Amino acid sequence: MGGDRAPGEIVAGALLAVAELQVPVVLVGRRDALGDTGGLEVIEASESIAMDEDAAQSVRRKKDSSLVRAAEAVRDGRAMAMVSAGNTGAAMASALLRMGRLSGVVRPAIATPIPNPGSHPTVLLDAGANAECTAAMLVQFARMGATYSSARYGVDEPTVALLSIGEEKSKGTSIVKEAHTELSVAAGLRFVGNVEGRDLLHGAADVVVTDGFTGNVALKTLEGSLRFFMDALIEVLGRDEETKRAADVLLPHLAPLASEFDPDNTGGAMLLGIDGVCVISHGSSSARAIVSAVRVAHEVAVAGLVGQVARAVASDRSPA
Amino acid sequence: MPAETHVEKGPLDRRQIFELIRDQLADILEIEPSAISESASFAEDLDADSLALIELVEALEEEFGERTVGFRIEDEDLEDLRTVRDAVDYVAAKLGAG
Repeated sequence: MGGDRAPGEIVAGALLAVAELQVPVVLVGRRDALGDTGGLEVIEASESIAMDEDAAQSVRRKKDSSLVRAAEAVRDGRAMAMVSAGNTGAAMASALLRMGRLSGVVRPAIATPIPNPGSHPTVLLDAGANAECTAAMLVQFARMGATYSSARYGVDEPTVALLSIGEEKSKGTSIVKEAHTELSVAAGLRFVGNVEGRDLLHGAADVVVTDGFTGNVALKTLEGSLRFFMDALIEVLGRDEETKRAADVLLPHLAPLASEFDPDNTGGAMLLGIDGVCVISHGSSSARAIVSAVRVAHEVAVAGLVGQVARAVASDRSPA
Repeated sequence: MPAETHVEKGPLDRRQIFELIRDQLADILEIEPSAISESASFAEDLDADSLALIELVEALEEEFGERTVGFRIEDEDLEDLRTVRDAVDYVAAKLGAG
């Protein structure tokens, strides 16, 4: 029920996912609002959480919301994973309160793929779950992010970098400097030092860790910059007959690159650190974006991502 | 007390209530129980955000709900629970504990 284009595009995406991926999909929401569900099973949920509602309070007050019921379905084994294009904070709260945190996890983090054309994406976390973090949380994000990079993209011993305002270890906030020290000596992590915002699209590391506030700002800045550039490029290419002829030559070459940045193809963001799979798709998700998110959710659930993250966190139980 | 409000676990004293709350909070915040005193403020001393408090409330409702049917921490009372002591006093009053 969540998302700018819900429920229509969500239902359409679910039906496409079943047809294209042969993955069983269960819808969660008000049956009378979903329209033609094509025979898909529906878990009834009489309430929904709006995008602007307080995450924790809304999950507590709306116990029959689609987000809460979806998280319960995963907890109870009725589903392998949940996918939501709704209120990100409420999705996280639902997953946290119903599926539970993995033992030893201080706070779950949202891991989002940053395209790295020609190679596998860089995993950025936390992309918005925790505005403020301790150094210990950043180290834990590194372990979870590295596990995700391996499970999702098949990266062997992923490199981990810390997002900062300079490459030198003396740069950054006190938390960042403390995290740098801890990451430098953390067993089982290939820490390669600091990276800056401008490095995110260049594949400087397989995993980049930061606090949720900074991560979300970085992510939205990237999205906005790319959208601006694409809009400007399209305007120029359509300006006159000469540029249109140039577009005929350029666009086939640009299409593969554009596809890597298409939000419909990224598969959404993964909530790491909870005892279940929860994929958070963009609020403006189309049916195709939902298909991608379902594909990713299914793949990581089958691959046993949750168990892998649990083992990675257990290998370092330093308190926050 | 009417029999239908109680289950098989025995009554709790205030000290036991504190220990249950402390242990739940330690698990949620991933800190040592010894770091949590009754005087500790959730926000200032323990860095517990609203989500952590909701986690605590739901865990306590499950824990104490096994002892007293229908035990619930009212949403409008949540903002008054600023310290561990506030939570202990609240639960103790609800359970009629000594």
